[in-house]
Amino acid sequence: MGRRGANRAAWKMLKYIINRLLINLPTLLAILVTVFVLINMAPGDPVDAFVPPNTALTEQQKQVLRHDLGLDQSAPLRFIQWLGQVARGDLGYRYKDGARVLDEITSRIGPTLLLASSGLTMGAVLGIMLGIFSARRYNSSSDHALSVAAYLAISTPAFLLGILGMYLFSLKLGWFPTGGYSAPGEKGLLETLRYLALPAAVLSVQFIAILMRYTRAGLLEVMNQDYVRTARAKGLSARAVTLRHAFPNALVPIVTVIGANFGALIGGAVFVETVFSWPGLGMLFLDGIESRDYPLIMGIALLMGIAILLVNMLTDIVYSWIDPRIALK
Amino acid sequence: MIIKRNASKILCSAALTAALGLAVGAAAGEQKFTGAFDVGSAGNAQKFNPLTAPAGFSFYNKYFGTLALYDVGLQKIAGDLAQSWAYAKNGQSLTVNLRKDVKWHDGKPFTAADVKFTLELVKNPEMASVFSSRLKDVSAIRVLDAYTVRIELAQMDAGLLDAFTSIMMLPSHLLSNMPVRELRSSNWWKAPVGTGPFKWSRYVPDQFVELDANPDFYRGKPVLAKLVNRYFKDASAASIALQAGEIQFSSMTLDQVRENRSTRAVEVIAGPSHVLNYIGFNNNDPRFKDVRVRQAILLAIDRKAIIRSIYNNTASVGNCVLTLPQYVPADINPYETNAGKARALLQAAGWKQTEALEMLTYYNDQASKDVVTVLQAMLAQVGISIRPRFVDGPTFGTLVDANKFSLVYAGGGNGPDPGTLIPLMQSSYAPPRGVNRMRVNLPELDQLFSDAQQETDDARRTVLYQQMCRLTNAQLPWIPLWVGDRFGGFSKQLQNVIWTPSPGGGRYQDYPERWSIK
Repeated sequence: MGRRGANRAAWKMLKYIINRLLINLPTLLAILVTVFVLINMAPGDPVDAFVPPNTALTEQQKQVLRHDLGLDQSAPLRFIQWLGQVARGDLGYRYKDGARVLDEITSRIGPTLLLASSGLTMGAVLGIMLGIFSARRYNSSSDHALSVAAYLAISTPAFLLGILGMYLFSLKLGWFPTGGYSAPGEKGLLETLRYLALPAAVLSVQFIAILMRYTRAGLLEVMNQDYVRTARAKGLSARAVTLRHAFPNALVPIVTVIGANFGALIGGAVFVETVFSWPGLGMLFLDGIESRDYPLIMGIALLMGIAILLVNMLTDIVYSWIDPRIALK
Repeated sequence: MIIKRNASKILCSAALTAALGLAVGAAAGEQKFTGAFDVGSAGNAQKFNPLTAPAGFSFYNKYFGTLALYDVGLQKIAGDLAQSWAYAKNGQSLTVNLRKDVKWHDGKPFTAADVKFTLELVKNPEMASVFSSRLKDVSAIRVLDAYTVRIELAQMDAGLLDAFTSIMMLPSHLLSNMPVRELRSSNWWKAPVGTGPFKWSRYVPDQFVELDANPDFYRGKPVLAKLVNRYFKDASAASIALQAGEIQFSSMTLDQVRENRSTRAVEVIAGPSHVLNYIGFNNNDPRFKDVRVRQAILLAIDRKAIIRSIYNNTASVGNCVLTLPQYVPADINPYETNAGKARALLQAAGWKQTEALEMLTYYNDQASKDVVTVLQAMLAQVGISIRPRFVDGPTFGTLVDANKFSLVYAGGGNGPDPGTLIPLMQSSYAPPRGVNRMRVNLPELDQLFSDAQQETDDARRTVLYQQMCRLTNAQLPWIPLWVGDRFGGFSKQLQNVIWTPSPGGGRYQDYPERWSIK
């Protein structure tokens, strides 16, 4: 491709990104409206969450709290005010303790990204490797064993897996701490990895299983295609046929699965973070829901919404990169 | 090993410490104690304003101080920052004499001005303190000199000292210039200055709070160099961390205690929770107006079987709203299970049911789910159909306050001072004014609460509370079920640690400055 062609491709890509961002704006707004309506419809308001069921607050105290938290205003007005705040780069303050929502979120992004990216990487690498392994040994006992293990992994909830993992690797074997977090650069890489290994492994288990199954199915589908047969007929090794000819063509559904499971990965992180006391967004989100902390819930919903929409867009871009037949429009 | 503490066998602190492997004397070197202080119902994780906190006292009182505390048996109130106190003969005031050797962590002396500041802060509606109703009879707080405070009362309030065991004293010299609304949610709470045996060192969100020994603590420098409160969102994870030796203390569930029986990894202390589990009903609902219906419900439930099979005999039957033994007279109705009599009472009361009654509960642990399921089966046998509904605390509050409920399965703290029941049962506290959420409206009960609050003589107060027990046993404004035990798990390496279950944790003399690790 000449320079002019490269420029045209770059411009096309930029145009595509801008278009997608514009299209995603109403989607994001719809997500935020839905979340806001749902949390306001849920029984129990933040003042009820402020104290346990048997603790007395006078009506005057409740009024003071409602006024201070802005709960004496109508829900639509609160939503519009919140949008205005967001436009100014301010996500408001937590009901629970007055902390700035933006500070709360930014301090948790690092740990969550570390956990999610480790889980994703571990899941993608192992899932794809096992999928290839399984496809190449189609209908063998190892293929069957891996399929059974994948079903087990998919149907085991993350929190149960977390507790089981902690019981085995922390209590019985003593390999890893039962929970906690060591920030990168705080006490050295090894210490960070020691705290990260178990939660990341637990988070990746379902991902490994899902990717393994999709990789296996994708490969089995393309293995019967003419071009694969031709490659075999040319005398290429089975390994070369699989990795150079079959696998690249099976990548599109795998990328779809990675992108589509990003949300599930974040959802799984909520449970994993809870079990392992990992100071990330998942644990913060759960705390926000328990305390009916509307500004916090909305702030995290905004961030998650943006992240998921961006990942979807990135997935589409990767499609066109791995398969030039797919055009970005 | 479980060290059992029950109503008839209150162990003193010395016995508790002996059971934990008492060895007097400090261990050498820097000692760090890590506990999961906020795991379980007595915890209040990452909520640092103690004036808005109905629980979490076990950790607050490591760095803050209160005027008074209970002894470890939760029987008598002793001084902490207050050295002595006396009610005026007419009951119109309480004079409190403070210790003169107490300093804030910044070196400034603790004085009467701090007491006045703190109590006024509690009363200020803008602070939204959960203790403000406990000070409703306080009309003024006067500083007589640097170490003497007179609390003037609109009427005698014998429960004031119990309230003082919950109210952490705050430094006037640091906070009096801050607007109260700002202070309520201020960052100051995340780096506070107290008078306790440990000083705030650092807070890592979602991870831990670390305290350092306070060398100027009035009872002497703590043996431990550091005391850490590690946060666990999941109680199972805390239990595993305890067994793995990463932490030295956590509250435990019954299942975890059962598991520990086989491993014997940690010492377990058990004791009554002082929380009565009960079936509450909407007193405004005409279906429950007839006392025979309420009696039938209680007679239909085989409480001993539930205690045996679900609680593994770690709960005791309650027959009135009070559970401390001194307040429970022997002559009350034991309501032994009798399904036949229950059916007869329902028939006599003309009980008719067209649809299942919803039983609301904010308990979501497995034992409580089992309990509600068994209650459903037992009540069905006498012709009462219920439909359990499990919700979280805020949902429970909203539904019940809005009068959208028939029955609840809930718990109410009734100790150490039975005055804690006032907001839950006195008619003037019915929603929206308070948390008498069952809308109990018994004039005799209101009068007994009032009389007991005005009585400082222990013996006469006990008689009044015994009358209250008889009244609630006969009228069943709540249907009392049982008081469950709570459990604390401790590393076998600990020495001199004092702990007992109590509502909201803490509030008793646990002398943390003596705690050490072998």
